[in-house]
Amino acid sequence: MADLTTKYLGLTLRNPIIIASSGLTDSFEKITELERNGAGAVVLKSLFEEQIILEAEHNLKEAGRNRLIYAEFSETLDYIDVHIRDKELGKYLDIIKQVKKELTIPLIASVNCVSDIGWTGFAKQIEKAGADALELNIFIMPFGFDNNCDEIEQKYYKILRKVKQEINIPVAVKISPYFANLGKVILNLESEGANGVVLFNRFTSPDIDIENINVTIAEVLSSPFEMTNSLRWVAILANRLKIDIAATTGIHDGKAVIKQILAGASVVQVASSLYINGISHITEMLKYIESWMDKKGYNYIDQFKGKLSQEKHSHPDVYERLQFMRYFSKLK
Amino acid sequence: MNNINEYLKEERNKEWRVELRKSMKAKERTDKMRVHMPEADPMIRNKNSEEVNKGLVLQNAVSEAARCLDCAKPTCIDGCPVGINIPKFVKQIEAKDFNGAASTLKETNALPAVCGRVCPQEIQCEATCFYTVSLKKDPVAIGHLERFAADYERNNGNTSVPVVDKPNGIKIAIVGSGPAGLACASDMAKWGYEVTVFEALHEFGGVLKYGIPEFRLPNEIVDVEIDVMKKMGVKFRKNIIIGKTLTFDDLREQGFKAFFVGSGAGNPSFMNIPGENYNNIFSSNEYLTRVNLMNAANDAFDTPVISGKNVAVIGGGNTAMDSVRTAKRLGADRAMIIYRRSVEEMPARVEEIKHAIEEGIEIMTLHNPVEYFADEKGRVNKMKVQKMELGEPDSSGRRRPIPIENSEFDIEVDTVIVSVGVSPNPLIPSVLPDLNISRWGTIEVNPETMQSSVEDLFAGGDIVRGGATVILAMGDGRLAADGMHKYVSEKVKIN
Repeated sequence: MADLTTKYLGLTLRNPIIIASSGLTDSFEKITELERNGAGAVVLKSLFEEQIILEAEHNLKEAGRNRLIYAEFSETLDYIDVHIRDKELGKYLDIIKQVKKELTIPLIASVNCVSDIGWTGFAKQIEKAGADALELNIFIMPFGFDNNCDEIEQKYYKILRKVKQEINIPVAVKISPYFANLGKVILNLESEGANGVVLFNRFTSPDIDIENINVTIAEVLSSPFEMTNSLRWVAILANRLKIDIAATTGIHDGKAVIKQILAGASVVQVASSLYINGISHITEMLKYIESWMDKKGYNYIDQFKGKLSQEKHSHPDVYERLQFMRYFSKLK
Repeated sequence: MNNINEYLKEERNKEWRVELRKSMKAKERTDKMRVHMPEADPMIRNKNSEEVNKGLVLQNAVSEAARCLDCAKPTCIDGCPVGINIPKFVKQIEAKDFNGAASTLKETNALPAVCGRVCPQEIQCEATCFYTVSLKKDPVAIGHLERFAADYERNNGNTSVPVVDKPNGIKIAIVGSGPAGLACASDMAKWGYEVTVFEALHEFGGVLKYGIPEFRLPNEIVDVEIDVMKKMGVKFRKNIIIGKTLTFDDLREQGFKAFFVGSGAGNPSFMNIPGENYNNIFSSNEYLTRVNLMNAANDAFDTPVISGKNVAVIGGGNTAMDSVRTAKRLGADRAMIIYRRSVEEMPARVEEIKHAIEEGIEIMTLHNPVEYFADEKGRVNKMKVQKMELGEPDSSGRRRPIPIENSEFDIEVDTVIVSVGVSPNPLIPSVLPDLNISRWGTIEVNPETMQSSVEDLFAGGDIVRGGATVILAMGDGRLAADGMHKYVSEKVKIN
């Protein structure tokens, strides 16, 4: 019988399937179900600064409508965004404490950072509440066209550096692929102290409804074909990094999990596939991996992890863009 | 509403009012300049607890009252949460019937001397005064006149006790002796109910005592108003925490037929930033309660507060102003307000900001604390602040503060007072499972009657609003009294 145990961020996981930070991981009850269905670990739903601003706006509107909620000159209303953040953080820490008290599943907290102010203090509280690790979900939208690439990248390092100074639990950084020199950025994150990287963040994107001539939100869930980009970068980076790689985006079945591990990922993170197929799909994926390992004669994950990374592959250039160009040029 | 309008019309048509109106031309009245409130010298008052506003002298009060045009449609009343018959009491002052003016105030306001001092009239009655709305001139100084009438009556030993109906033997419990509870107690007592006010602390008055410093509202003023209620038959019991010392069921067993909960918003909020737990970082609730109620400014007492030399107060509301001005009076060399927006967005009354600046308070706007540091004994010695700029307006119409990157710098501090708001006291909601609570932790009530989901329980003030002014809390107390009176009358009929 294959042993699916693996290591990620220094934690021992019973298998490499981590449930990504999402609505699937936003409560103790849901995390309990995920543990029951075999998840290797969970990343708690991120706290988003944007979400807190929206909630504050909602409160301000309510206060305008309902004369019984907050007097016009209330100091509480004046700092409502701060109080909402405080309340949300409190709820978040309560979930961590309850999970750590009542469940055995490794718990990775997640913070969506846009700056190094405020959130680093929260990291300390997350550690104190008992989280096993922290995933920093950093994305600084480069709206200001005046900033050069280096300035933006430096913000990532600054956030990480500050968080690492504050806490002792392992820290993974979840990033997008949108960097001029992605490999170098990831290497820099490693030297700044990251214990792992999560490749890649997938964003909600705009779409256009041509019937109603309106801007809408594009499909929220990932598709299996979206996995290729993370697969390529996992393979390219696998033997260049000493830290762990978690692959995410488009991993919808056991086959995809195996591919990512062959490319060099320590673990995978899934969410869309569970939204589509239900939480019991974790069991299906695990069964597939086990039977594949049995069929291939692998007893442990490490026996095939990174077997097809760029460095170990007999044709390393297969992962490089040029090869893709050549491939496409042959198509008639 | 028609009844009120008819009553106002009837009062206005009384002979003495008609004669008074005729005694001076409207033009003469509107040409008069608004009276100035005399104030204590800022550089002297900032070293003691002397009351800042000294009150109007008689001649000035009469002259100011003469500015009032005694409008046929008195819009000023629309701005008063407790519906004081403003033209009547103002005209009584003009007619030099000062005790009559005080009685008029007490018809609808249990605490006129308090409201004359702490109400934000500039956004209430004075904002809807004919002078403000139509003439675009300074409004009649209604607040100053209210204080004058109440003080005159008290200082001359003529404190009147409102007439109360024959006792009906029905017991009513008021939880909390703050402005909401006192207003409710006063009305219920007038209607003949047997009212008992339960207070958790060792002094009566709630936020009027523990929250508002002596230099703005002397405790003696509150005590006199409470004495009036005692004379009306209201019983006061201190050091009793309803929900702990006595439960609601205990009170029901003791024969209480209805409850008004005005237990306030005593839970201070913090900003949850690094280092906020270091020593000498207080909430304004704790700081002010210790100074105002527990003699913490007196070294002879057991729990003194440090008289900080560099004191930073975080926030821009009235409580922040009270805290920073208290710190100055306790000997701070540098007492500063740190506020993340600009002065225009501050929730504090304009008068409070003006007084603070006069007293040497530094107002550091567009700055926000991000971290505190401490010495080896864990006492705060430094804070990191970040500069802010104002972005787009939020739903309240005020511009949102946005941090400016890499603008942080350190300020030396030895005391920090966080004054960024409060949340409702959770005790009563926690002991009554059937009580509907909002997502903000406030008690949900019917806004017409202030009745909660527990039928014999009414509520008002900060426990309902999450943070209100004294007069809004009093308005709630009065509305609840009305609702409670109807509820109890129905119940008694049924039973």
